[in-house]
Amino acid sequence: MKLRRTLAGPLGAIILLVVLMSLAMIVAGTSPLDGFAALFQGALGGTSQIGETLVATSALLFPALGIALAFRGGLFNIGAEGQLLIGALFAGAVGAQLHLPGWLGMIVLLALGALGGGLWGAIAGWMKARFNANEIIATLMLNFVAAYLSLALVNGPLRGPLATGAETAWLDQRYWLPTLLPGSRLSIGILVALAFALVLYWVFTRTVFGYKLRAAGDAPEAARRAGIDIGRITWISLALSGAIAGVGGATIVTGELHRFNTQLSPGYGFIGIAVALVGDLQPLWICLAAFGFGILEAGGLAMQASAQVPKDAIHVIEGLIILVLAARRYVAARTETAAV
Amino acid sequence: MIELVLSLALLTLIKATPLIYAALGGVISERSGVINIGLEGMMAIGAFTAVIISYATRQPMLGLLAGVAAGALAGYVLGVAATRFKVDQIVAGTGINLICAGGAAYGLVLIFNQPGASAQVPALGHHYLVLVVLAFIAALALHWLLARTPWGLRVRACGENPAALASAGIDPLAMRLTAVTISGALAGLGGAFLSLGELNLYSDGMTAGRGFIALAAVIFGRWNPIGATLACVVFGLFEALQYVLQGRISWLPADAMQALPYIAALVALAGITGKVRAPASDGVPY
Repeated sequence: MKLRRTLAGPLGAIILLVVLMSLAMIVAGTSPLDGFAALFQGALGGTSQIGETLVATSALLFPALGIALAFRGGLFNIGAEGQLLIGALFAGAVGAQLHLPGWLGMIVLLALGALGGGLWGAIAGWMKARFNANEIIATLMLNFVAAYLSLALVNGPLRGPLATGAETAWLDQRYWLPTLLPGSRLSIGILVALAFALVLYWVFTRTVFGYKLRAAGDAPEAARRAGIDIGRITWISLALSGAIAGVGGATIVTGELHRFNTQLSPGYGFIGIAVALVGDLQPLWICLAAFGFGILEAGGLAMQASAQVPKDAIHVIEGLIILVLAARRYVAARTETAAV
Repeated sequence: MIELVLSLALLTLIKATPLIYAALGGVISERSGVINIGLEGMMAIGAFTAVIISYATRQPMLGLLAGVAAGALAGYVLGVAATRFKVDQIVAGTGINLICAGGAAYGLVLIFNQPGASAQVPALGHHYLVLVVLAFIAALALHWLLARTPWGLRVRACGENPAALASAGIDPLAMRLTAVTISGALAGLGGAFLSLGELNLYSDGMTAGRGFIALAAVIFGRWNPIGATLACVVFGLFEALQYVLQGRISWLPADAMQALPYIAALVALAGITGKVRAPASDGVPY
């Protein structure tokens, strides 16, 4: 009975996804068979394809974990996109100038990513704690500030010699994260993401901070009366949330692109919200959800190229999944109440 | 000099207009108790639909109406999610934004066979200045509706204490659904103004966070239509300033100037500490 209820959600989501994707393919004039074949061929059809899927998985996993942390604390961090970008910018800007041994340099660059993203999250956290500024709008606005700031810097002082677009100079090869899957672009960045997931699982379930975070999110008034400093939790959790997204940005720079580019994220920070929700804010489920969305992201590109189905259909479907999953939670809650 | 000030003033009003329509949508939705974070997507789908219909019929006015209808439909979907299914409003709004932006990008490739931007379509021409004036009239009208009519009283009651409204025999969920649908229609009009008024095409990302800035304006304007409109004029000024300042200030790069409206919204959010109170049941499902 319990198992059936646990499985009904994800299964329902998958069925919905298949139906809607088929529809999007038919509208675009492709048979669903060809469309799905192209999607899975593009996502899992070979070493380099699997690598691309896991690259997207990793890029989605970082912001999704950060978002889950903030959401658990009752804070809507919609700014993972900007936090990821600033983390990547820090890593890219310093990485192009760095003179350190390779392994130390890699650690420094990832730490800089955490610093940049953390700083960006902390601004919103500080505004919320100090001025009671709405964190949803603050984090959203900071996305745009991050985008234009990085554009101004990369078109100006940070622009790499010989750069054709808005890009920094190349990182020295010493600082490139080692390849995990030979024959693909996949770096060990994904192992860092998985490590973060494990650490967060431990933090959420076994630490005082995890408990305080949940208390602040579920019952802020009770938490305050119990002596928890809500303001402190607010800015710390937004800073941590941003830091995790920022490390993600840094791994994209050091792992795959090897320089900063303002176009490096096709919306990972926003899709990460869907990933976090589909993963029910639980780090280990989020890993699985990130893989599922990674297939869609990587396969979507292939589907567009070989089956002429616009990859943007994927985003419509991701949005619908968010709506349906959130609605399902209400229906489940209502059924349980009725049963009592 | 006078010429410069006048052109800045006109540009400010033009840049404020789409923000005002979206912000009025935000006010009506939040006064009824639903935070509409989907304004951004509703603007995008309004802008896109307006262009498609104008392209198909060669009638920009029909396009404008279609944009309003598309925004209203997106608002209705959010409204159903927020009332019937009690989906978390922020989560649902985020979903709406993904659906609308993704849907427009998908449609762009299907219809115009090219990603990024549509072909040029028949636009409103100088008639769009009527919409600028209309935005301010709409603000006054909404203020009157909310403050002086029984319907407005019900909307406000719905946002403050929906249970009390229900005990008076009025369904708060129906009120909210109506309010969010109107909210979407207004955002769709703002979007159509962008694509058929200021321009004559749709391009991906053309709403550029205006729906979110409108939400900041709602808070800065203290959930009051007139206050929100004035806030939009301020944000419009910062958007207009970058065009006027470009080339005049050499030390600030153009890319950085584009961040001005967003920074202004951030400062505004932080600057009104302690002085604002949202409707008591804003964001709380009933």
